[in-house]
Amino acid sequence: MECPFCAHANIEGADECQQCGQPLGDMHLSAPRTFVERGLLTDRVSELNPRKLFAVGHRTTVQQVLQLLVEKRIGCVTVVDDDQKTIGIFSERDCVVRLGPTFCDHLSRPISEFMTTDPQTLPADAKVAFALQRMDVGGYRHIPLVASNGAVTEIVSVRDILQYLTDRMPMSPS
Amino acid sequence: MVFELNLGTDSVTHAHPQTPSCVESETSIRGVLAQLQSEQRGCCLICREGLLVGIFTERDAIRLMASGTKVNLDQPIETAMTKTPVAITNAESVASAIATMSRRGFRQLPVVDDQGRPVGIVKAAGILHYLVEHFPHYVYNLPPAPHHTPQQREGA
Repeated sequence: MECPFCAHANIEGADECQQCGQPLGDMHLSAPRTFVERGLLTDRVSELNPRKLFAVGHRTTVQQVLQLLVEKRIGCVTVVDDDQKTIGIFSERDCVVRLGPTFCDHLSRPISEFMTTDPQTLPADAKVAFALQRMDVGGYRHIPLVASNGAVTEIVSVRDILQYLTDRMPMSPS
Repeated sequence: MVFELNLGTDSVTHAHPQTPSCVESETSIRGVLAQLQSEQRGCCLICREGLLVGIFTERDAIRLMASGTKVNLDQPIETAMTKTPVAITNAESVASAIATMSRRGFRQLPVVDDQGRPVGIVKAAGILHYLVEHFPHYVYNLPPAPHHTPQQREGA
């Protein structure tokens, strides 16, 4: 039986998690009523069909990034430093809010001046519920996934989540 | 309280539509970009005599910006907008809004009244919030990070 809080594998029937001490009974979480609810606690974000992430160097110009977004038909890129460490994210929203009507003056500036620093990420083996929580509470549209070796190569978007939920929800014909 | 999920019968008004940001079709591209920036919005509805005639989204803005300095920002927004956007009415179900969004790849859908006047805008984030409201325990009662392990057991 896997702990929903720390993913520690406990013996079946344990009252509390051996690792984090959280109760594993049904005292705090009602038993999942539906297929979707069970899925949220057991499925991992890798089941959302995350897409390949495009990363750009921090010295890439704004113009090059904009062209990449248009050519690849993607909504955001991550920005990496010289050691390939992710330091930021640049999304459609950043274009509109940070560049704005004066974008012509910024086209040759490095992307690091306009990116959102320190983006919210999730481990690639996190549960789907976490992705939902991050997007709904934080209002994010994209969440980069960090693999166990620290590499950031995939990204989930709000549309992947909508697709996941609607695929699993009972939908009466309209 | 248990919410029954009725995607097929709940109307899109349940999916947290927002008041749209509307501009007249003669507004300059520069004006619309400034409005999106100041309101921190993802899209602007373009109206003529109160009726919806176009939509200008972040995606359109990016395409415009990527074409570089060639664009004349003083041109009216009509020249850059997406004409006759797909719109829905308040009577439509959440299920059909989701279907339209995923089939056409939209993230925002304008909602119009029976005369074609924009009354709202349904966003993917609003639909996500509507869905999450049906299983709040599993989304809001989570530890701060996945695989979060407390240093010590709680309690005395």
